[in-house]
Amino acid sequence: MSERVTFWYGCNVLRHGDIIHACLDILRAIGYEASPVGGPDYCCGTVRDANQMTAGGMATRTVGKLNDRGARVVAWCPSCHSHMHDFMEKGNDRHFDMTYLVDLLHANRQKLAPLLVHKVPMKVMLHRHIGFNELVPVNRMVPELLGMIPGVEVVDGGYTAPGYMCASFGALPKALEDIHANTLRAAKACGAEAVVTTFHQCYREIVGLDAARAIDVYNYIHLIARSMGLPYEDEYKAWKRAGDGATAMIGAERIAKVGIEFYERAVLPELKKRPNLR
Amino acid sequence: MSDRPVIGQRLKEYQAREVERILGACTKCGKCYEVCPMAQYSKAPSQDSKATVAGVLAVLRGEQGTPEALGWIGVCTRSGVCVPACPENVDPKMMMRLARMTALGGRGRAKQIEVKEDRDYFDRVRAFAKLQLTDEELKDWT
Repeated sequence: MSERVTFWYGCNVLRHGDIIHACLDILRAIGYEASPVGGPDYCCGTVRDANQMTAGGMATRTVGKLNDRGARVVAWCPSCHSHMHDFMEKGNDRHFDMTYLVDLLHANRQKLAPLLVHKVPMKVMLHRHIGFNELVPVNRMVPELLGMIPGVEVVDGGYTAPGYMCASFGALPKALEDIHANTLRAAKACGAEAVVTTFHQCYREIVGLDAARAIDVYNYIHLIARSMGLPYEDEYKAWKRAGDGATAMIGAERIAKVGIEFYERAVLPELKKRPNLR
Repeated sequence: MSDRPVIGQRLKEYQAREVERILGACTKCGKCYEVCPMAQYSKAPSQDSKATVAGVLAVLRGEQGTPEALGWIGVCTRSGVCVPACPENVDPKMMMRLARMTALGGRGRAKQIEVKEDRDYFDRVRAFAKLQLTDEELKDWT
């Protein structure tokens, strides 16, 4: 009998519907009955450092909702996972076990291996950060998962970025520029054909290197999904590559759902943004 | 008086206990600042690691931080290399996190650093969700 789990994907990965869909298929394929929850209504509150009253309320609400589901929680987002560990569970009664997706996949390598049937011929370098690795050793586990994919060769460029993920560098443009430049330099130095991220927050930033045609960029889930033959298309990358052309790709019907004014003000600029490669 | 617990009260109490623990344990040796890979990006980089840490502790006490301390707090992105560097097991990552919350005005003290508010943060998340998920998925998953 398969274990019922709650797949708590977080907020910002909603930019990447393909990743959420692929994660659900992967979890189900290795024997978990996974039901997804996320978005602003399940926010951990970490984005509200400037208002701990609000952050505390968000944490209480989300822990309560996860408690009500009565299943182990599998977290996707490193911010949510570490915020639960550092704060949410300290201020609330957590009644569920919790694990991080990388940890769960790594523990299920024997179940995952026979599902990786399609070759993905690619020399890849993992985009690493220093932080979070002490909570879940992702910098060891993700290369081991990638190494199970037929055709994938994992190479090490010797660079580990500061911080725990790229999105927290949004207000630190010089540091983010350094991460982009050092990541690209390391990837070229070790002969990588692609950079692979662990976190969606890094994917959102580093895929700018792909959009700038500097190097291919993937999330590790993309490569596992491809090897399993899962069909999901990475629309975010396609839109990012297209820049202004994203509007035509998305189409008027979908844009109408979010409103053209909001799309042009808050969505399109993100898709057009490119890294400053020195 | 209502018996209903105040939302976030336990979190607030936990944070207060952590602040007290950190203030009691830190010897201001400065090792955490010295190993920090982000210090170089500070608006006010410091040559005096001990004084910079003392400034962070002042922020935790609710006092005005020095420019060097606030500069460091502003660039902390939770690398965590400070944690094993601390000889007193203070957990400087937690120290910096709480100092950041405090300096941002999030713990009821005066705001000492500015953060660029993204007014569209959650709406942008919702927008991308609408672009990529079906109506049924939006209803059931979010």
